[in-house]
Amino acid sequence: MSDEKKYTGYPPYAPGTHIRESDIQERKISYSWWEPEVQYAWSAGHAMNVFLKGLKNGKIMGIHCKPCKRVIIPPRMFCEYCYGPTDEWIELPDTGIIETYSISYLDSDARRIKEPILIGVIDIDGADPHHGFMHYFGEMSKEEIKIGMKVKAVWKPENEREGSITDIKYFKPL
Amino acid sequence: MTFGEKQTDPLAKTHWRGDMQADYFYPAGVAGDKFFKHLKENDSFLATKCNKCDKVLFPARLYCEDCFEEIPDADWMEVPATGVVRLFTIATLNAHGEKLENPKVMALIDVDQTDGAILGVINMVDLNKDYIGLKVKAALKQKEKREGTLKDIIHWELV
Repeated sequence: MSDEKKYTGYPPYAPGTHIRESDIQERKISYSWWEPEVQYAWSAGHAMNVFLKGLKNGKIMGIHCKPCKRVIIPPRMFCEYCYGPTDEWIELPDTGIIETYSISYLDSDARRIKEPILIGVIDIDGADPHHGFMHYFGEMSKEEIKIGMKVKAVWKPENEREGSITDIKYFKPL
Repeated sequence: MTFGEKQTDPLAKTHWRGDMQADYFYPAGVAGDKFFKHLKENDSFLATKCNKCDKVLFPARLYCEDCFEEIPDADWMEVPATGVVRLFTIATLNAHGEKLENPKVMALIDVDQTDGAILGVINMVDLNKDYIGLKVKAALKQKEKREGTLKDIIHWELV
């Protein structure tokens, strides 16, 4: 496009003008603003539902796979080894051993903290080896914690439980 | 509950609810800005005329959408806020699929003196009426209440 055709005052290939905060606040420019209602509901599914309901009652629920003779925790509706449906619900003890752990100097919002949080995976007793879930550790120092340590769940009082993994406060040394 | 049973209700089991923030900001652009500022102060619309293809663009644009010719300031024109219904549909359900107490007539309106059209709601509802070809007029908000958006048009009424 030649220069003499540029009669509108707008550049033919406008490099663009950034909208400033004040343009919006003072409504110098025309715009539409919309906040759509986007709600979601995330379901835990059947197996995790039984597990979470169990936590509310102070129980750790595992599930059995007959062909593999395996007790799975956290529970699933099918066995990922044989793809068959799992069959029997089993109440497991609230004890286990530390499978692996981490000493974290960052909190859950990634802020630096002085006193570290101890977290890790607990092999739940009664389930197959290396079957367990993640949780906090307490009543132990970062020097004391070690892999293979026996631990036991510390539960919230019954009236404070809500069917969540945090119904267990932490795992303490047994 | 068996393995093969299908579960489609997320609320049937333990679940978590949440809101996703998805704000939507749409600046009207250079031509749109001029169009809406005019609408805020006047009871008419702005359109632009492409002299090359002899087409009146509505809503007003800086470039002809057919031949890409730039449109000079001199070819901006004022057109009345009236038109003719090209197409219509009657909504009896809302966006959530619930039955509306008062059905809505939504129409595509060919704006007079232009080759463009605009979507709008017609305030007169008659489920058995054929609205195609009827003349309509925009009912605008009071000038002091206008914000310079499409919502300044309350609805369209039959002339």
